Amino acid sequence: MNPMTRQEHFAREHRRDVTRRWFFKECGVGLGAIALGTLLKESASASPAGTADPLAPKRPHFVPKAKRVIYLFMAGAPSHLELFDNKPELTKWNGKLPPADLLKGYRSAFINPNSSLLGPKFKFAKHGQSGAELSELLPHLASIVDDVAIVKSMHTHAFNHAPAQILMNTGSTQFGRPSLGAWSTYGLGSESSSLPAYVVFNTGTNGTSGGASNWGCGFLPTVHQGVAFRNTGDPVLYLSNPKGVDDFIQRDSLTTLKRLNQQRLGLVGDPEIATRIASYEMAYRMQSSAPELMDLSHEPKHVLDLYGAEPGKGTFATSCLLARRLVERGVRFVQIFHEAWDQHGNLTKEIARNCRDTDQASAALIKDLKQRGLLEDTLVIWGGEFGRTPMVQGGDDGRDHHPNCFSIWLAGGGIRPGITLGESDEFGFNATRDPVHVHDLHASLLHLLGFNHEKLTYRFQGREFRLTDVHGEVVSKLLQKAALRT
Amino acid sequence: MNSTLEKPRTRGPIALRARPWPASIGFAVSLALVAAAILEASSSVTENTAAAPSSRGKEMSTPKENHWAFKSPSRPSVLVPGPSGWAKNPIDQFILEKLKREGLRPSPEADRIVLLRRLSLDLTGLPPTPEEADAFLSDRSEGAYERQAERLLNSPHFGERWARDWLDAARYADSNGYEKDRAREMWHYRDWVVEAINQDLPYDQFIIKQFAGDLLPGSTQRDLIATGFLRNSMINEEGAIDPEQFRMDAMFDRMEAVGKGVLGLTVQCAQCHNHKYDPLSQEDYYRMFSYLNDVDEFTAPIYSDEELSRRDRVLSEIKAIEREIQSRFPDWASRLKSWEASVQKDLPEWIVLEPREYGAPDGLSKLQLQKDHSLLAGGHRFIGGTWFVKAKTAMTNITAVRLEVLNDGNLPMRGPGRGDNGLFHLREFTLKAAPATSPTNLVSVKISAATADFEESQNPAGDPEKEKEKTFGGPVRFAIDGNSKTSWTVDAGPGRRNAARKAVFQLSTNLGFGEGTELRFDLACQDEVGRFRLSVTGASDPVADPLPKLAREILDIPSDRRTAEQAAAVFSQWRTTVPEFAKFNDRIEALWKQFPERSGQTFALSARPEPRVTSLLKRGDWLQPGPAVESGVPSFLHPLRPSAEPGRLRLARWFVDKKAPTTARAFVNRVWQSYFGTGIVATSEDLGVQSEAPSHPELLDWLACEFMEPTIKARRTLESPVESLPWSVKHLHRLIVLSATYRQSSRVRPELYAKDAFNRLLARGARLRVDGEIVRDIALAASGLLNTNLGGPSIYAPAPAFLFVAPSSYMSFPWKDATGPDRYRRAFYTFRRRSTPYPMLQTFDTPNGDASCVRRVRSNTPLQALTALNETLFVECAQALAKQTLVHGGHTDAERVRYAFRRVVSRWPTAAERKELLGLLTRQRRHMADGWVNVAELGTGANSPPANLPKGATPADLASYTVLSRVLLNLDEAITKE
Repeated sequence: MNPMTRQEHFAREHRRDVTRRWFFKECGVGLGAIALGTLLKESASASPAGTADPLAPKRPHFVPKAKRVIYLFMAGAPSHLELFDNKPELTKWNGKLPPADLLKGYRSAFINPNSSLLGPKFKFAKHGQSGAELSELLPHLASIVDDVAIVKSMHTHAFNHAPAQILMNTGSTQFGRPSLGAWSTYGLGSESSSLPAYVVFNTGTNGTSGGASNWGCGFLPTVHQGVAFRNTGDPVLYLSNPKGVDDFIQRDSLTTLKRLNQQRLGLVGDPEIATRIASYEMAYRMQSSAPELMDLSHEPKHVLDLYGAEPGKGTFATSCLLARRLVERGVRFVQIFHEAWDQHGNLTKEIARNCRDTDQASAALIKDLKQRGLLEDTLVIWGGEFGRTPMVQGGDDGRDHHPNCFSIWLAGGGIRPGITLGESDEFGFNATRDPVHVHDLHASLLHLLGFNHEKLTYRFQGREFRLTDVHGEVVSKLLQKAALRT
Repeated sequence: MNSTLEKPRTRGPIALRARPWPASIGFAVSLALVAAAILEASSSVTENTAAAPSSRGKEMSTPKENHWAFKSPSRPSVLVPGPSGWAKNPIDQFILEKLKREGLRPSPEADRIVLLRRLSLDLTGLPPTPEEADAFLSDRSEGAYERQAERLLNSPHFGERWARDWLDAARYADSNGYEKDRAREMWHYRDWVVEAINQDLPYDQFIIKQFAGDLLPGSTQRDLIATGFLRNSMINEEGAIDPEQFRMDAMFDRMEAVGKGVLGLTVQCAQCHNHKYDPLSQEDYYRMFSYLNDVDEFTAPIYSDEELSRRDRVLSEIKAIEREIQSRFPDWASRLKSWEASVQKDLPEWIVLEPREYGAPDGLSKLQLQKDHSLLAGGHRFIGGTWFVKAKTAMTNITAVRLEVLNDGNLPMRGPGRGDNGLFHLREFTLKAAPATSPTNLVSVKISAATADFEESQNPAGDPEKEKEKTFGGPVRFAIDGNSKTSWTVDAGPGRRNAARKAVFQLSTNLGFGEGTELRFDLACQDEVGRFRLSVTGASDPVADPLPKLAREILDIPSDRRTAEQAAAVFSQWRTTVPEFAKFNDRIEALWKQFPERSGQTFALSARPEPRVTSLLKRGDWLQPGPAVESGVPSFLHPLRPSAEPGRLRLARWFVDKKAPTTARAFVNRVWQSYFGTGIVATSEDLGVQSEAPSHPELLDWLACEFMEPTIKARRTLESPVESLPWSVKHLHRLIVLSATYRQSSRVRPELYAKDAFNRLLARGARLRVDGEIVRDIALAASGLLNTNLGGPSIYAPAPAFLFVAPSSYMSFPWKDATGPDRYRRAFYTFRRRSTPYPMLQTFDTPNGDASCVRRVRSNTPLQALTALNETLFVECAQALAKQTLVHGGHTDAERVRYAFRRVVSRWPTAAERKELLGLLTRQRRHMADGWVNVAELGTGANSPPANLPKGATPADLASYTVLSRVLLNLDEAITKE
């Protein structure tokens, strides 16, 4: 017995896949039958088992500007008033009650809406050629502000965390719908043969309020579900062999398993067995590709320093660096959930801490992608599920949930760089110019990925479902001219 | 630019027609992709195949009311069986007829052992044991297969297997969902479903009990548990939420479950607007909605059988003593009457305050104003918090305020508190007042004394072990003693605990400003008061009315208009006041002490005392109520039968009316789907206008009719055919598994595959990867670890600890991996936490209960491979199977390989398979001998040498067989119903 090394095996298996002939030579199944059957399966109605690979790369409706997405989800909802939306007027109103007509029909979560206004806690300054205003808490973002587009006029219709996060991720406040990431891989498939199409990290001080449904696949096939990676150790659950199983045992086991499955395939002829064989071989490849992904020892020091990443520490910074490594390896959608921003009290201290934890790495990600030529077709989004009230909560250092207006930023993948879109009123209470609802954001993101959001649909329960339901308009001001074409 | 994503017109859920991008390969490359790449042929092939649904074009042109599924099914005539003699029952005749038209022949019957494994997995979700296989293989007499079917239909595991399908539709889970996602005790409902299926509760009864078990005459605790179906909705306990908003979301969820789970219609589409395709108006939606809207979300106590009989004994003995009093004191009636008159004299007048502002100062928890001006707590549940209420009064001589703590169907055990037992701790009750003209100048009002209608003696309330948390419950004075460590509590013990109570707080000086008075009350609580109401009086020296609220309400009813129950309640109240009855009263008190504590609880429904008005919600938005609607059912379906029964019960009966066009069809179609992979209508959640045309419309209708009104006397045993009851679910299963269609070999013949890749025509048996739960059960069963105990609380099967703490989980969740036998319970009993789906099950496509699901996807992914290779329990199964094999599998490798192989897939290995496995064993032995492997660790998971190995077996043998077992458990065949 002359055991193959893992690398040799990998190379051989890869060649096999590429030549795409081995199944037919080795599996003893009639080519015609399978090929024909596959076509039937692909196009026929209500595919029950669907052996056609749902993650094969697909062409969208039109040439996309963005081929992949990194979504930095700031769960808990950061205060736009401390970070992006400079409101000098609010300083003057500090301690005073808001004008009554502002509150007409307004529902708030915790506070009596008729609470005193609270002036912004941090200084703002203009940065870059674009002259975008940013708070002093975001010095790193300031250094790349000409590469990003800030939207100051986001609004939503949910103001409790779980429903609002679910809305921001799935387009509905009710659980059970596919997430943006799932829709993306459903529409585009995956470019990676050895990593999941949609990878999720959780950082921050809490888990997200929406839980796993934030990256769920709803009624889409399960392969579109986000796969939660850990940012230290084994990234994927059950990746490592059981105790005592070395690579020789593993390879020998899988080879035996493959031969036995092939014998069975020859006898019963079910292509599902062939898929199973392929799944096991890919699992084996993942056992080396995933640790390779996590191994930051070959990242130069200046890159680690750029992010502020410390190998072995599962921080937001490490996750940002891993996100870059994932998209480099063909992963379609990466989402980092950093749940830490729910500052009902202790705003000054905690928002500063959150910015220390996230600002440098977020900016580093943009710089790093840019210098690698990846920013052009990688869409990066930074933002939470809603904003915070200009009214105070709990003494003089907290803000409540606020759905009417909040800020996010985007970069790359066809986003117009160096712009600030939208305005809010003098209190940062309502979006007054170019308001962008969550559905509009979704429509725009899908547009950048090459989809008409009204036509990326999945038939379920007798109707076509889409991410934007019956809403959503593409925000053309947010897009590069070239990205407007379809 | 042109879109390549046009939806194929008559095709199903794959709206995207994928074309591979060159030079890259997907994550889950399958044979299909390979084949597709080679043959870029036209897609018109589908149109020529029989498997393709008939074009919907014709249907679309007819009025939607004429859609086939909206007409009651009528029994098609059964064809005369052909000369082949293949058909075993009418199912086969429908299948055969279509096959003939397509020029196809059915497949031969599957091998006997394949058949037994298929039957066992289908009926019980467990593979046959080697002994069961031997028994069947050696039984060559006629009816052997039928006897196996009967044995398995009567297995208690039948209920577990088929409950799973229903629980998906019922979106069953063991946690509340949303951010907090706390555990809920809901397994009584899960066990009810299992038992109902095992006892073959007719499907009409099964549905009626789940919608209205509480309203049935003579309703039992079990009937109440059944109503948990509607309560499986998620509950949001996030801070600061509006409870009404999420009650409405739960209502929408219920309507969806009704649509998917019972009617097979996309009812939820009409939440925001008229249904786009089916003739279901938005008003129809809210008319049905109103039947379900009229409920309280009740947490019911659960008593064990023993507790129930003790409870009944206590109550009947109390009744007997009361009858004894009545016979010993024949003048009791007149004495009672004069007592009644005496207690209704000189009652102080209480003015109920209208709360103007109320809630928790921190906004975390919410109060909802009720019609009677009481306030009901909802949403986030605080432990240690305060309610405040602001009200105005014109009274100028207030001498006292009254706090009534009230029952409510939405509180645990009906309240009056929100603690687990429906109790509360009122730490401090304080009052401030200001002239209405300067309402912010609130000044504390001194309370001089407090009385209550129930006084508990001092008892430890907090954790007596922890000095800091040590608090005391007790009499009402604890609520005005300025000490937050003492509380007014009202625990009257089991059976009498959950009663409305009241306290009266006397003011040291009369209160009230001429220009009106602004009042602010603060109720500092540990477990919060769940529903309460505040009143004021100007009466002099008022105290708490010793008569309970309930008694007072009955006294207000003229005595000749009281029910027997009400009259008895008055008597029970009165007798406690009569000194001569002391002896009897003492005996009754002693009996109350024997009243059992509940051993559990469950979410159930109860009818609201006062109906709720349901409005049509514009665009489905709860903040935009439109006109009120009357309850009713959609007119395009069958009519509601006139009856005096409560609306919800009528609706339940309407669902299972034999005229219901979709109910029976939807159910039989889903059962069919579970056996054959695809329903006769592929879109099993939707039989409406947009559904896929049925592959065998007559068969669907025949099954539906035969289900509702059985005519076939299935041969349960050779000797005695038995008639089945209407709506017998087991009858339906029996028909299917005894059919020749079901018994066919699942071998994929190339010509069949070409013609019918999805096997919609059923010219062969179904070959499917089993459901996630069964994937695990097979490994447990094969390894001998399986614990087949039935029912009880859900199990924390081993899971990675990091999933249950930040940043993976919002709230830390106390998931403690089960040790001991519970570790190896069937996966059916795995605790289902919504926000942390159990990873092994999620990977194998088990839904998490967020929403109703009647059609699982069946994926085949590398993550499944990693799970089956490396997940904790799978590894333990491989180790256990290895040991089992060494101990019981014979003495030679050849014997042992055969033994282990058979335990996993039920059949014996072929010579080629045996050779492959023996080769593996030989190579592994050599590898172990080389000394590179920690054999103890490999074979046992621990670093110590394995114990109890049979004579002559070494730790290296155990390790080698563990490798072998791991391969076997990962065979495609192992997790496939062949």
